Amino acid sequence: MNNRLRVLRAERGWSQADLAARLQVSRQSVNAIETGRFDPSLPLAFKLARLFSTPIEQIFTDEA
Amino acid sequence: MNISLCNRQLSPLQRRSMQLFGANLVFTAVLSLTTRDLFKDGHVSAPLLYLMALLPTIPVVGIVATVARYLARETDEFIRALVVQSLLWGLGITFAVDTYLGGLFAHPQIFRLIPILNIDLFCVSVGVAVRIQLWRNR
Repeated sequence: MNNRLRVLRAERGWSQADLAARLQVSRQSVNAIETGRFDPSLPLAFKLARLFSTPIEQIFTDEA
Repeated sequence: MNISLCNRQLSPLQRRSMQLFGANLVFTAVLSLTTRDLFKDGHVSAPLLYLMALLPTIPVVGIVATVARYLARETDEFIRALVVQSLLWGLGITFAVDTYLGGLFAHPQIFRLIPILNIDLFCVSVGVAVRIQLWRNR
């Protein structure tokens, strides 16, 4: 699954640690999601969508 | 929120789990070696033998309970996934080494240097696997 997390984060000038603190997860989690090594659960995806005030489908896109 | 097993910024849950894990590990080794030494004499009655053989299993259950408690309470799903993967690596390594040593020690000319406890091997393997996983995802 592809995502625009890095772009959205950069637009707000947040570091990975800043985003991790806002999501209450580890910085490694943010890094793994950004690089596509880890797909977040639905609750975390919704949390991201709320945080960026964006629909989930505009953050995550199917590779197919 | 500091949830990171790769540095000293451990969450209270991680710190507590590591302490319980370590204590149970040492407890298992001590009880296993102690009962083994006591059984060497061969003067232990049958009921006592069965009872004492059960002793080292108590901290083993403690280790399993500690891991289960940690996985149930860890809120970071990525770290939880890493720990689960590391547990599987630990199981695989333990089975492989145990099978290898079992075959090796079946030979009469191979001297058993040290008693290797599967649970200790498992815990060390899991610890190494967690470190490697966190290094790869740093």
